[in-house]
Amino acid sequence: MHGERALYCIFGVATALTALLILYPAYHALELSFQDLDSFISEPVWIGFGNYIDVLNMPEFWNALGRGLIFSGTTITLQVVLGIGFAMLLDTTIPAKPLVRGIAVLPYLLPTIIVALTFQWMLDSTVGVFTQGARLFGYSYIPWGENGGVAMTVVILLSVWIWTPFVTLAFLAGLQAVPGELYEAARVDGASAWQRFWHITLPQLRPVLTVVLLLRAIWMFNKFDIIWLTTRGGPLQATEHLPILAYRKTFELYEVGQGAAVSAISFVILSAFILVYFYFFPLDEKE
Amino acid sequence: MNDITLGRRAALYGLVCVTVLYSFFPIYWMLISSFRDDRSLYANFSLLPGPFSLTNYEVLLELTDYPTWFTNSILVAFGTVCITLVISVLIAYSVTRLQFRGKMVVVGTMLYAYMFPPLLLAIPLFSLFVKLGLADTRLSLMISHCTITLPLGVWLLWGFFKQIPMDVEEAAMVDGCSRLRAFILVVLPLTLPGVLTVAIFSFLLSWTDYTFALVMIGTDSLKTLPAGLDTMVGSYELRWGELMAGSTLIALPLLVMFMFLSRYFIHGLSAGALKG
Repeated sequence: MHGERALYCIFGVATALTALLILYPAYHALELSFQDLDSFISEPVWIGFGNYIDVLNMPEFWNALGRGLIFSGTTITLQVVLGIGFAMLLDTTIPAKPLVRGIAVLPYLLPTIIVALTFQWMLDSTVGVFTQGARLFGYSYIPWGENGGVAMTVVILLSVWIWTPFVTLAFLAGLQAVPGELYEAARVDGASAWQRFWHITLPQLRPVLTVVLLLRAIWMFNKFDIIWLTTRGGPLQATEHLPILAYRKTFELYEVGQGAAVSAISFVILSAFILVYFYFFPLDEKE
Repeated sequence: MNDITLGRRAALYGLVCVTVLYSFFPIYWMLISSFRDDRSLYANFSLLPGPFSLTNYEVLLELTDYPTWFTNSILVAFGTVCITLVISVLIAYSVTRLQFRGKMVVVGTMLYAYMFPPLLLAIPLFSLFVKLGLADTRLSLMISHCTITLPLGVWLLWGFFKQIPMDVEEAAMVDGCSRLRAFILVVLPLTLPGVLTVAIFSFLLSWTDYTFALVMIGTDSLKTLPAGLDTMVGSYELRWGELMAGSTLIALPLLVMFMFLSRYFIHGLSAGALKG
């Protein structure tokens, strides 16, 4: 067949380019993590596992890891529960369905900077709309700028607001594939709405749930921008998780090697999680 | 209609209202705040829109770097879309048309690369750009964005190309077309929805990206909108009216695109195209 050789060439060049763009930087990250550098232009000194040992001996690292797990665990749970709820609601016969669906998806499309700024404005301690609301309940303002727990709650709720629509959309698509006869049969047998949800909808959506949970876990564990933009990891490191620690080490303290080590370690943790996850919840072989 | 179904109806409508309010109120608040002058922002609190004023937009466009950031964002996003489309179409098409062992490794690697934490790429990329003398340029940001959009493009287009049977272009080639002509005249039109989806999401990822922009660009006049707007938070006293006007202008192109191209949006979004 003609054109075959040209096609191989194109494939080779394009793939090599992509490897250079993605795999080489990943390799360079590993390289950096074994070096001692006090800036991006200084002469690197090879120090083996020195950075890793330093990082693993820092209480900062373990605190950040713990906060990251709390942050991702809570956000994923809330996103999945709310997402399923929204999907069930948007799947019923409601007025102006396309419009309502569109609005429900909107938060997911907005750039993180907009969400971070808008919510900071709404939480403004003197005239923010949430502050006005809090006053109705007798609080003078919401202390997300100085109370660590409140700050963590705020970034968690913001993350839920932004990223729940992904779960909603995935489940809406999944719901279309559930055969209607199943519900008919259950209705004839006198199953309640809850029983239908628990025994038909959820098991039918299991493959969707498996994929959605995995993607959400990966993305929430790596999430950097929403926390950085909202709290910068503060107050007093209360919202600093691994990506923020890696950023601070690299670009504020210029401990480039340690920053690279932190992100390498978090990638190892993530990869281990993915492997374990696949072991317990193998994806359907249909695709 | 009896009372029970009426009650259920009311509950359902109530839930829909809550959902709409929950999803839309912050956007509504951003919009109406952007059209208020300082006096009504800070002194007269009201949930309803107005009084209408364009002061924030005037200040933003005339007295800040916002127009420069806007141009930068357009340039970077446009470049990212072009690079992504060309390379990912070539890879995805050749992977589906060539038969050789291990070709799925390429697709698998792409998917794996799509899972990389942003900072695992941003730190080494910045270090490489410093070595190449490309640090703090719009080109470096464009290239960084391609590290997210390329795996996505290959993955999405692979799904599209594999659905198009080989017979289609073989028939054209039997009729005397070269492979290139067969590809451009027959295959590409059939995969236009896929190409459009990749274009939309490459644009979206580049337009909304904050993390790479923060790391790659230090000079104010080279920043893109998200990173630029963020510097306004740090350096001035908080001018909420202008910040909300700036946010509205970043969101506007996305909302317009979403209204007219929602079909492609929904497809890409449920395929995880936003990497977030």
